[in-house]
Amino acid sequence: MADPIIELRVILPHKSVFDGTCDHVIIPGIDGDFGVSAGHTPFMTVIRPGIMEIFTGEDVTKYALHDGFVSVENSKVTIVCETIEKADEIDRERAEAAKKRAEKRIREKLEDTDFRRAEIALKKALIRLEI
Amino acid sequence: MANIRDIKNRIESVKNTRQITNAMKMVAAAKLQKSQANIIKARPYADHIAQMLMTIKHKKNQADSRIFDDAAKAGKRALIVVTADRGLCGSFNSLIIKQAVEYLKQHPKSEVICIGKKGYDVLKKRPGLVIKEKYLGLFNEMNFAASAEIAQFIKNIFFQWEYDVIDVVYNHFKSIMQQIITVKALFPIPDLVESEGISVLDFIYEPSMDEVVAELSNKYINVEIWRIMLESSASEQGARMTAMDSATDNASELIESLTLNYNMVRQAAITKEIIEIASGAEALS
Repeated sequence: MADPIIELRVILPHKSVFDGTCDHVIIPGIDGDFGVSAGHTPFMTVIRPGIMEIFTGEDVTKYALHDGFVSVENSKVTIVCETIEKADEIDRERAEAAKKRAEKRIREKLEDTDFRRAEIALKKALIRLEI
Repeated sequence: MANIRDIKNRIESVKNTRQITNAMKMVAAAKLQKSQANIIKARPYADHIAQMLMTIKHKKNQADSRIFDDAAKAGKRALIVVTADRGLCGSFNSLIIKQAVEYLKQHPKSEVICIGKKGYDVLKKRPGLVIKEKYLGLFNEMNFAASAEIAQFIKNIFFQWEYDVIDVVYNHFKSIMQQIITVKALFPIPDLVESEGISVLDFIYEPSMDEVVAELSNKYINVEIWRIMLESSASEQGARMTAMDSATDNASELIESLTLNYNMVRQAAITKEIIEIASGAEALS
């Protein structure tokens, strides 16, 4: 391994969230969370809703991810996603309210309920609360 | 010769018009800047997705996925026509509609999806043309969520086999003065990047190559629709800016010639009065 750090980019359609280096990153892949350090094998996967942790020295930064795609090329990790939230920017009260709303919708089983959407909303809220 | 008061009224009204066109020019300039900034921000995202998608395309046996299959150009077609919601932007809308009509002549059985009111207003009058869906009034409040909704619809109709080819015609933003009318293929996904952009690495795909392609193409269409709407919006504002700029210039010119006319008429009236007084005085003496 030539260089023990990795280059990480997190890009959204309307902005770039992270563009820099870090030592290690843990990403919620569709088949389970995985960590990337320098020298990782080339890899592509889909992201499932979960928590991403970026390790830089002693610091850990956490983000809630809801969708996206990761590619690892040499020591370059690129994440493209449509929504992302930094841990300390999450509004817990709102997340709690969203969770209750989603649960209610699933429980009531009204005829016009879109279950898939309610489930996604619930999952999102749970991740926001968990972080 | 026109009445002095009439000319004066006209000058006033042209001045008012000039004020409006000038204000519209300023507003267009501000909106243009916003769209342009968004285009630049979307670029890294779109580029990366295109690169990854093409990397996979070249690894795969090209023909075994319907989304890449260029050979199936014969099937049922849909054309997305992107125009503005408002007028007063020169030939912006009419040129797009002309191009769309041209396309419909070449592929007579195509159906149409309209984004923007102006295109819809014209195309709905075309006999025999099926308008599959219309999205009006989106350009006022541009956001990614709204474009993602359109993208979702497009993916649905493609993956439910309603169409085999989906193309889009829109204005590509080159500069304020120049918009390029572009016909672009959305599905099947064409070659997007030069061969240097394609990664030669041997990737591991999780859970499988097909799922990765599905997610990537999903994101690709989302960002592509977003980008097309931004390009069209920037072009519209650019076209409006140029149109309003020349309207303002024309108004200024008109005011100048009207003022000249006004002065002449006024002078003529004064001269006439003096002559009358002078000749009256002469008659008395």
